[in-house]
Amino acid sequence: MALDDGTLASRIAKAGAVPDSAAETELYRRLAPRVRLYGLRHLRDPQAAADLVQQVLLFTLEQLRAGKVRKPEKIASFVLGTCRMTVLEIRRGTRRREALLKTWGDMAEAFEAPEPLALDADRLVPCLEALTERERSVVVLSFFADKQADEVGVELSISGGNVRVIRHRALMRLRHCMGAAEDEA
Amino acid sequence: MRCKNPISLELLVAYWLGEVSETRAATLEEHFFGCAHCTQRAEALVALAAGVRAAVRDGKLSMAVSTAFVEAMKQAGLHVREYRVEPGGSVNCTIRADDDAVISRLRAPLAGVTRLDVVSMPGAGGTPEERLIDVPFDAQTGEVLMIPSARRLKTMPTHTLRMQLLAVSETGERPIGDYTFNHTPS
Repeated sequence: MALDDGTLASRIAKAGAVPDSAAETELYRRLAPRVRLYGLRHLRDPQAAADLVQQVLLFTLEQLRAGKVRKPEKIASFVLGTCRMTVLEIRRGTRRREALLKTWGDMAEAFEAPEPLALDADRLVPCLEALTERERSVVVLSFFADKQADEVGVELSISGGNVRVIRHRALMRLRHCMGAAEDEA
Repeated sequence: MRCKNPISLELLVAYWLGEVSETRAATLEEHFFGCAHCTQRAEALVALAAGVRAAVRDGKLSMAVSTAFVEAMKQAGLHVREYRVEPGGSVNCTIRADDDAVISRLRAPLAGVTRLDVVSMPGAGGTPEERLIDVPFDAQTGEVLMIPSARRLKTMPTHTLRMQLLAVSETGERPIGDYTFNHTPS
């Protein structure tokens, strides 16, 4: 049975002078997508999100190695807190990526985040074309510039609630067309 | 890896587009950091959004859009060619290699229109007749903005395309504008 995140973090914290490379690599691999999602949501830039993954997770591993994480079994909370703090610092312009990479440059080379998910464009386009005109317009207007339902509604002279209904129906049809698992409503 | 209490697709979308409160977003983020399954589903949504952006940038989609969307395309650095046509009017048009999109701005009396269909009728050498049903529009602007697939348009020979806007209601339908596009490849 696979170890949970907290157990991996505890192993890293208890490793002592010789780092537990296997546990560190596995924890990095697991947490990288979660940090990247946070970064994409708050920074809206794939490169900035990739940088955030590196900054947050290298800091986390360093803190674990040094025994400075009080509750390694709650590592997810520690990483989320570090994400929040780092994004605030980035927004204030006080975070210096170059300085961080200077500190952890050697360490950074040892870890690699999993590639972000990518869709098969050749499958997506026919699926978008199979939507109704209104559904396609709502999807494109929503996701091209990440606009909220109320904004899209104003642009198309319909209510935000109506946009949400059309958007949800369109996404369900897209998921079905793309062959995604139907595990939710 | 499956989640016993997965975040709904609706909520994932609302989170991604910033439609939830800061407090709700924080709660969702706590869930993501403890849940690889929901993180992966959110990543799939992010990938879909990226795929939509790429399809627009690459000129692969035909669609009806808004004025604000055209501005967003321009802000994203896309090269947009626009043709504004009055009802009954015609225009000589083309698409160049460096154009990312061509916008047809069809002027029309849209006040009171609840459903709008667009019928494309071929001239000699044109595309087959096609009817687009319930095309979205912003009545206040008095324009219907249509973007054909730039990728497809770039492969088309010289042809004439006639478009007709139909206002559809429970009592029937009536034409509110005819437009002729004389396309020449560049």
